[in-house]
Amino acid sequence: MTDTRTNAGARDGGADAPPELWDPLVRLTHWGVASAVVANGLITEDGSAPHIWVGWAVFGLLALRFVWGFTGPREARFSTFPPRPIAALKHLSDLLRGTPKHYPSHNPAGSIMAYALWACLGLVVLTGLVMTDAQSPLSISEQKAAVAAGDWSVLVEGEESRDHEGVKEIAEETHELAANLVFVLAFLHIAGVALESRLLGRNLVMPMLTGRKKSKRDAGAT
Amino acid sequence: MNRPRPVVIAAIVILQAVATVFFVGDAVTDLLNAPSAPHSLLEAFVAVALILGVIFAGWQLRVTLERLRSQERALDTARGALADVISAQFDAWGLTPAERDVGAFALKGLDVGEIAELRGAAPGTVRAQLTRIYSKAGVTGRAQFAAWFVEDLLETGLAVAEIDRCGAATGQHERPQHRET
Repeated sequence: MTDTRTNAGARDGGADAPPELWDPLVRLTHWGVASAVVANGLITEDGSAPHIWVGWAVFGLLALRFVWGFTGPREARFSTFPPRPIAALKHLSDLLRGTPKHYPSHNPAGSIMAYALWACLGLVVLTGLVMTDAQSPLSISEQKAAVAAGDWSVLVEGEESRDHEGVKEIAEETHELAANLVFVLAFLHIAGVALESRLLGRNLVMPMLTGRKKSKRDAGAT
Repeated sequence: MNRPRPVVIAAIVILQAVATVFFVGDAVTDLLNAPSAPHSLLEAFVAVALILGVIFAGWQLRVTLERLRSQERALDTARGALADVISAQFDAWGLTPAERDVGAFALKGLDVGEIAELRGAAPGTVRAQLTRIYSKAGVTGRAQFAAWFVEDLLETGLAVAEIDRCGAATGQHERPQHRET
């Protein structure tokens, strides 16, 4: 491949019309976190072993997405969608007036939403770790199995652990608050996507499912 | 293409990352409880290996994505380049604007009826235009007309450097020489 050809491609619209809007890592972490939120918010029992396993998985997904935000392709990088609250408000008013601009990655409102969700999810994970003494889900599962088998010695709390009762209570309150906030934000996020899809007349969900802005056939026909 | 699809690589990266978080969490607990036990040291070693694995797989994913994108760009360029070649050749043949349209539709594989419908013309008119195009191009029919443009791609591959030559070609007079060589 010669440089001329790459440059020509960029000039011909290759740059502002990426073949893929969201790369597979962004898509899979997005749906992974979404299903984890549903699982831990609605299905698993609070504080149960599955709840903690799912929480740790979210930790992994968030960490990976965070690193990808610096090393991934352009649309996935934080530098492409810095948080700009004023631009976000402007985008919303533009949207209602029917004259929204198109952005190569998240629009400013979507970007604020992404950061807000990440912050809340991070807080939920962090407080969850505080509540469980950052014990790995494996050892928690082992402990629960031991208790179920009749060995209650693991339940005896050490001195250190009792000192942290106050901290843990705060963590628990914060955990619940942040988790509820995640649900509120997720609802707003879905409402925003639905509204923008409708007003812009383009499906915003498809790129997150398949990665493409439009089907291959349409792209080929232009 | 036999290369793994990016979505497969991404799924593996994610699986590795989540597994690493679980394992590292366990390794850290063990390391804090028994810093010098062989078990803890082994776990720490495996944890480092896992982290390196995630980094490597992530880097692979990045490279694969970049490669796919540049291929797609090259394909777009080739498409655009072919359109340029066709346009230049239509100029060289001296096609009228109407004939250019009909010629382009014919190259895209539309039949007379479809072209007539698209242009809001009678099929007879389209047929007459096609006949004039073939005579200007010095070809016997549609198959040869289409083959005229495909021939170059088959012979030389899609090299951008070649397009200047094709674009500069002034007419079919140069073609027979080219074909014989």
